[in-house]
Amino acid sequence: MTVASADRLWLSASRLRAMRRDVAVIACQIGLLVALLAAWERAAGSQALNAFLFGSPSAIWGYLARMAQDGTLIRYSWVTGLETLLGFLFGNVIGTVLGLALWYSRFVSRVMQPFIVAVGSIPIVALAPVVIIWFGTGLASKIVMSTLSVVVVALVIAYKGALSIDDDQINLMRTLGAGKRQIFQKLVVPASLGDIFAGLKLTVGFALIGAIIGEFMSSSEGLGHAIFKAGSLYIISKVFAALVATIALALALTYLVGKLERFLMPWRKYD
Amino acid sequence: MLGELLLVSGISKTYGEDGDRPSSVIGEISFALGRGEIVSIVGPSGCGKTTLLNLLCGLIPPSCGKVHWRGRALAGMPERVGYMLQKDLLLPWRTALGNVTLGLELQNMGIGEREKRAHHLLRVVGLSDFYDYYPSALSGGMRQRVALARTLVTDPEVLLFDEPFAALDFQTKLVLESDTARLVRKEGRSLLMITHDVEEAVSLSDRVIVLTHRPSRIRAVHQIDLGTERGDMMAARESPCFVDYVRTIWSELEVRANDG
Repeated sequence: MTVASADRLWLSASRLRAMRRDVAVIACQIGLLVALLAAWERAAGSQALNAFLFGSPSAIWGYLARMAQDGTLIRYSWVTGLETLLGFLFGNVIGTVLGLALWYSRFVSRVMQPFIVAVGSIPIVALAPVVIIWFGTGLASKIVMSTLSVVVVALVIAYKGALSIDDDQINLMRTLGAGKRQIFQKLVVPASLGDIFAGLKLTVGFALIGAIIGEFMSSSEGLGHAIFKAGSLYIISKVFAALVATIALALALTYLVGKLERFLMPWRKYD
Repeated sequence: MLGELLLVSGISKTYGEDGDRPSSVIGEISFALGRGEIVSIVGPSGCGKTTLLNLLCGLIPPSCGKVHWRGRALAGMPERVGYMLQKDLLLPWRTALGNVTLGLELQNMGIGEREKRAHHLLRVVGLSDFYDYYPSALSGGMRQRVALARTLVTDPEVLLFDEPFAALDFQTKLVLESDTARLVRKEGRSLLMITHDVEEAVSLSDRVIVLTHRPSRIRAVHQIDLGTERGDMMAARESPCFVDYVRTIWSELEVRANDG
């Protein structure tokens, strides 16, 4: 056996071990989930848990199946997903533009500072009644809620990102002959975008919260609407069904945004 | 003296002059840098070496004294000056090529010409195969070489280096020192280098200026004559006078045990 072929054997053996570990992890995860669901189902069936108050996996599954059948699952997920994505998009664009503009003028940023802090400290829930009154009960108000949940965070991330740029970096640009506009274009914007893109997974979560709260307040469709309506009728299993769909939506969006992040920042692959 | 590239007369710098705790970093420094000269400045930590370079570049104003570039008083940024720091400061979202073309972009040079020059310089520093790599995929030594290419691509007459090789391992440092010496001498550029490393200063330079603690003044100036071919770092270190220079300068550095 040569050294080269021995190396290759060792490599494939350790890769096999890594694969086995991955499989073991997934097996444990599935096992854990199944065990929890089974225990829940048993408890609900044997009256140890009040089925009315706590629901049961079988009932949840039943509601999910029904929602899938009459199309509400797809429709509601689509509506909430759309509200979230649009709010995410608008909120990040507006917040980033404003945040970067604040870097450009130190004076303006000092003037605006207390206003931003004040607006940023308002809990989104508190804004809901005003938004509904101004934008109605349709899709628009949910998109606005979703946007508002994101915009201040995106602004702060952009502004802080711009401020945190190494002074040496700026000095270097100056020694290369760059004016303020060139420094802004070639250094500040790309550097802050890096922070923004890294914060995308955070802001998509906020966008979803905004959309759901908007639907809680007043809506005729969407996953938040389903949760709220089922909750007010005390149909706990249906609440959980809508919740499961919401979790699935959240995971899907986070995954998509993660892929977007990796696409937008190829230089971070080696981090 | 007006024929000198760079003339520094009576420079001093005090921070917080208006406040109640002014801190004087540079006491009084005067020296000149001629064409094709390599001058090193060594001094204990905190004696204001970086402040001095920033003053020469026009990034901060001096409290006293004058800086003359090519016979004219400094106004704004001096032209055809290349600045290199210990941090490579490569933009992480640009490839090695993109980083090298940065200075040329700022001069609004066309893309064809920019890339041609950048490729040439990457070849000179031995990284032509890595032009499309991002900085995160390059080692520290490679990144400093890209930074060197970036510094040279705008064809500067004078180079100002602030401990650029301090963070590298010994072998990479020697290689980069040789490369720098070669590039500077071949093109007839001038180099003013701040360094902690006395051996680096002696093996690389024509002249070594030794500074005192802050507020710094010039303690001594040494004209270096090693009798060897310039640019051969190993030969320089083997020259008989080398050790004497290093020992003398070391003793002048007043390195105190509890220095930060």
